[in-house]
Amino acid sequence: MALNIVVCLKQVPNPDLQFQVSGDGKDIRRDALNYKVNGADEYALEEAVRLKERQGGTVTVLTVGPKRTEQMLREALAKGADRAVRVAFEDSAAMDAFQVARILAATIAKRPHDLVLTGVQSDDYAYSATGALAAGFLGVPHASVVTRIEVTDGGLKAWRELEGGDQEVVSLLRPALLTIQFGINQPRYAPLPAIMKAARQPIEEVTPADIGRASWDAFRGPYSMAVRRVSPPALKGHAEMIGGSLPDQAKAVADLMREKGFYRG
Amino acid sequence: MMMGATVLAVAEHREGRVAGVTYELVAKGRELAAKAGGTLHVVLLGHDVGALAAEIASRGVDVFHVEHTALAAYTAGGYAQALSGLRPKANPRVVLFAHTTQGYDVAPRLAAEWNAPIVANCVDLSLEGEGLVAHRKILNDKMAIELEVRSEQPYIVTLRPGSVKPAAPGGQGAVTGVDVPLDPTRNGRTFLGYEKTQVQDIDIASADIVVSAGRGIQKKENLKIVEELAKALGGVVGASRPLTDLEWLPKTRQVGQSGKTVRPKLYVACGISGAMQHIAGMKDAGLILAINTDPSAPIFEVAHYGVVANVLEFIPALVKELKGH
Repeated sequence: MALNIVVCLKQVPNPDLQFQVSGDGKDIRRDALNYKVNGADEYALEEAVRLKERQGGTVTVLTVGPKRTEQMLREALAKGADRAVRVAFEDSAAMDAFQVARILAATIAKRPHDLVLTGVQSDDYAYSATGALAAGFLGVPHASVVTRIEVTDGGLKAWRELEGGDQEVVSLLRPALLTIQFGINQPRYAPLPAIMKAARQPIEEVTPADIGRASWDAFRGPYSMAVRRVSPPALKGHAEMIGGSLPDQAKAVADLMREKGFYRG
Repeated sequence: MMMGATVLAVAEHREGRVAGVTYELVAKGRELAAKAGGTLHVVLLGHDVGALAAEIASRGVDVFHVEHTALAAYTAGGYAQALSGLRPKANPRVVLFAHTTQGYDVAPRLAAEWNAPIVANCVDLSLEGEGLVAHRKILNDKMAIELEVRSEQPYIVTLRPGSVKPAAPGGQGAVTGVDVPLDPTRNGRTFLGYEKTQVQDIDIASADIVVSAGRGIQKKENLKIVEELAKALGGVVGASRPLTDLEWLPKTRQVGQSGKTVRPKLYVACGISGAMQHIAGMKDAGLILAINTDPSAPIFEVAHYGVVANVLEFIPALVKELKGH
């Protein structure tokens, strides 16, 4: 059974960086960020490519974001996606998961989709909401935190990871949407010839008119959502920092371990 | 529909046990209901869970209990249908879920079906007039953000576990059975069963000293540096998720929400930044020592002592200091 798979990717600021508050206090400074593909989405892409290699079919990668996201889409093409689609939504912050999910759902609805995959959460906002929202708007069943997929006749079997490491096994009818957990596979690296080829592949662009609305605002929910403030977190507590040169730090920690009785000798 | 004043907190339970996070929702829900001038109800969805309804009510909170064979096991569709059935009766202003693998599975789906706003993974929230103010952490918890949402639809919220102190036992709430028609054939998703992996390995949860490695160790070969420190201290080696995903260590060594929760006397975090999922599994350790190159790493917020250093250089120096005496 060949599957047409859509993978929703997000480009996020590298979360290992340090961040600063923007001038108006309502976002982070975005002028000097380096962006990368969202961690969990890499696993979703790899899973889609593996399913295609096993079952046949196509993999379409889809993102909602500004021009810079084309780099991410080309990487996905180089790793085995067949087609890339960028929804030209230029809001760099894209804070409202409801709006983004509605745009995704409207875009997905226009093309074949036996299966939709995305990451379990984004490294920047960590809502873990976009996948299930999009499934709700599409009216297809979904399962979150998936660590294993089996394709069955007309459906899927999915293993969901629960707290404490237990798994829950569910069956789903197709089409379905799954949010993919870290570690479901080992994502591949793109081979150089594929990277060269991907650089020349077209990227389809989607405008509001293409999915039946006059503007991106038309995809907002019936409510307002505004950022009041972005700030460094007020710390509940903070470690007592052990400074000095490396040998000083090592000596201080060794003394501490002895003093607290964790090392005798 | 007029905006109601009721706050609903959706109970989480599995195999006959109420999840502790449910009582965190009760604590926060009470506060919100007082502000809204309404009442808090816990929603308990299940089959043959009367005892759990009584247990929840014994925290002094009223319970809406929906009993149905279709709710014998959790499914997103089943829960969403039941909550939609309950909506006209409860007329909620806020529906609270825990930000867990169950909460964030169903809450967004409900938001899509109700055309209602969702604010997920909040660490705090309050009502200001008709509006909801949510506090969240973003970018690996390195920034805090305050959002204001104004809606005539109910606010759907997931609250990060461990954000508030759970409501203590005491008092007696009322349990109200609510009949809701459910059609499981509409869900497209069926629960098949649980799988519990039993692997033979040491139990890191029973160790007094846990020395955990994270991405900061960079290469699998460097695990031996961490092992050496664990050995010197008489402890065991744990890991953050990225390392068990890479299969550098077995899953049994993973500390965090989807792995083990540990409460050792000493926890040493070596090159672990401290994502919320990891912190959930180790924050109650007696003494936490963290070593990380990034001074803004959230691990330093829960650690008692912190060292900004490269673990690959620091640990050998520490082991040398320990053994040098």
